[in-house]
Parts: sequence; structure tokens; C-alpha cells
Amino acid sequence: MTISLEKGQKVDLTKTNPGLKKIKVGLGWDIKTFDAGTDFDLDALAFLLNSADKVRGEKDFVFYNNLKHESGAVIHSGDNKTGLGEGDDEMVTLEFDKVPADINKISLVITIHEAEARKHNFGMVSNAFVRVVDSDTNIELVRYDLGEDYSTETAVIAGDVYRHQDGWKFSAVGSGFQGGLVALMKNYGA
Amino acid sequence: MTINLTKGQKIDLTKNHPGLTVFKVGLGWEPNIGKSDEIKSKSLLSSLTRRISEGTEKIRGASFDLDSSVFLVDANEKRVGTVYYGNLDGPNGCVKHHGDSLTGRGVKGTDKENISVDLTKIPSNVNKLVFVVNIYECKSRNQHFGMVGDAFIHINDTNSGNELCRFNLTDDYNNKTALIVGEIYRYGGEWKFYAIGEGTNDVSLSEMSNRYR
Repeated sequence: MTISLEKGQKVDLTKTNPGLKKIKVGLGWDIKTFDAGTDFDLDALAFLLNSADKVRGEKDFVFYNNLKHESGAVIHSGDNKTGLGEGDDEMVTLEFDKVPADINKISLVITIHEAEARKHNFGMVSNAFVRVVDSDTNIELVRYDLGEDYSTETAVIAGDVYRHQDGWKFSAVGSGFQGGLVALMKNYGA
Repeated sequence: MTINLTKGQKIDLTKNHPGLTVFKVGLGWEPNIGKSDEIKSKSLLSSLTRRISEGTEKIRGASFDLDSSVFLVDANEKRVGTVYYGNLDGPNGCVKHHGDSLTGRGVKGTDKENISVDLTKIPSNVNKLVFVVNIYECKSRNQHFGMVGDAFIHINDTNSGNELCRFNLTDDYNNKTALIVGEIYRYGGEWKFYAIGEGTNDVSLSEMSNRYR
């Protein structure tokens, strides 16, 4: 049965689910625009971070222009430009054993494409969520509904999948971020 | 202290102001009389010529009739009621429109129209109140929101008199004939305000209401 998280909560993945090797991290959202609005495009990104919370290089940044990490540990499902449909809008697969030893954490982020130019922000997004699914059984393990706190922001750090002792955990981060994709990349040392 | 909102922003009303039940939503705008000033200053045009030219009424600046209205919408985005100049009272007195300003004249920056809200009286099936402004007879008068400036909405606590938040609509609404200004909506057992500020091409209130069928 899935665990519903609140912001700031951390939950174990591998200890509670022995044998868990591969997960699908799904991100979803609904958009409410009126006819004046231009197309709304949200993007899911994954940052592979070392113990200093930085990427080792641009290759550690998995997104619509870099769908597969060189290690094969993180694979992006591709760019969903409209967000239509039920369930996950974009998804990232994560295979624990393939994660490079010096990578400590994979941070899942949702950004609004061309937010400034299109005058979009998260106020226009509703029902945003991030969830972790066991890739083999398709059972949802964890779900974090992002709520409404980021209304004027254009990016949200949804959650982190991180090493803990000799296993992996999920942290419901839910932090808004100003400045778009470039600022985000700078923040992570890309 | 009031919060100045940006487009898209969503803020807590009741969570930040426990005990808030009754407040007034004020809406204001300034018809752009620059154009008429220009015409007035054109010397030597006979009043006859002026009457013939399109926009005689614009010169007098008297015919900008903007109407604020409220759609009461349920959780399925269906309209369950409308409060406007033709129906000033919402169910149970939950929403009360204080009347139609026909000319829009008044001290600059003050509310042109006011709508009172009593949260305790809102029927349980109403999920949100959508505040809209449209230009009455925009087609026949050839008017649009490019001719209106300084549009704003603000919410004042009736008991304390304090302004809780204000949203100045600063986008370019040229050629738009209606505005979806903002929403007051239920969220997690509380009430919040969402600063929308979107212009639309709806030519009448009933056309706007079709969005919530």
C-alpha cells in the first residue's frame, strides 16, 4: 500500500521493500489556463549529485535532451509537451545497482519550459505529484502531492532518491525555485 | 499588512487570518480617456463633425460600462449561480453585489464596484467564486480592455477594515473584451485567493458563463 508523504518527510525504500532493484519515479500535473494562455510545457529532470550535492558534469543531468545517463542508472521517458492524460506525465527509471559509487543522490525536479517568455508559473499548475513505483511489480510505494505553495515559482524540486547506509530512501522535498532551468543548473554546479 | 500579488499567485485567506468570515472584494479600473483628451484638444472641429465620427460617446467618456460579476462554481467546474447587476444577491446572502457603476466615474484608484462575501453562508456545494469583469455592449461600442488601465482587485476584511491582499492587473489586455480577474476557492478546509488576471474574447457575461457549464 502506498505511503502518502508530507513535505519534509523521508521514507525508506529498499529496507522496507527487500529485493527492490529498479524504480520508476513518475511526475504528473494538471494545467489550468484560459484561452489567452500559450501552450504549457512542464519538464521533469533528474540531477545525479555527489556527496557535495553537485553534479560531476553536464552528463549528470538527465532531461529531454539527455534521456539516458551514461551509467544506464537513470533513464528519462521523454518529453510530454501537453501534460494531457491521467497518471504520470513524465517518468524516470532508476536502477540502484547501476548508480555510480560517487553519486549519492538523484534529485527530481519539475520545471516550466520557457516560463518567463510564456508568462507561466506554478500558480497555473494543479494536482502536481511525484510518486515512486516498483518497476518490477508496478506497485506504487510512495506518493507525494505537491500542493499549492509554489504559485509564483517556475521550478520545483519535487523529491530526492538518496543513499542511506547501504540502502536507498526517498525525501519529499517540495522546494520552489526561482530563476528557471539555467539557475537550477548553476545551483547544482552544472 | 496587505500582500501585493503577482499573476498566478495563490495565497491563503483564512489560514493567514483565522476568524476571517466577512470581507469585501473591491474592483477598480480607469477608462483610458487619453484618446478623448486628444480629440478634445483638436481645435476647431465642429460639434457636428464630432458627433458624426465614431466614438462620440468616447469623447464624453461616459459610456465605458464595465461590469463585475461572480460565478459560483461547484467542484466539477459547473456554474451553480451568478451574482451580477441583474442578480445582486447570492444564495443565503453569501455574496452581495453593491451595484452597477454605469459610467465608471469616480476618484481614480478607488473601487468602482464592490462585492461582499460571507464565507459562513456559502453553500457547501460551491467550491469557488470566480470574479470576472466584462465590458457591457463591447461590440456595439467597439471597446476593449486596451482602453482600460489600472485594473485591480483587492480584498478587505470587513471587521478590521484591513486590506488583506491586492492584485494589480498589469498585463496587456489589448483587444480583450473580458477579464477573469481572480478566484476565491476552497482548499484543504480553508479559503484561498488565486490572482488570475487573464483576458478573454468573450463578448458578454453569458458567453463567459459558458466556461462553467
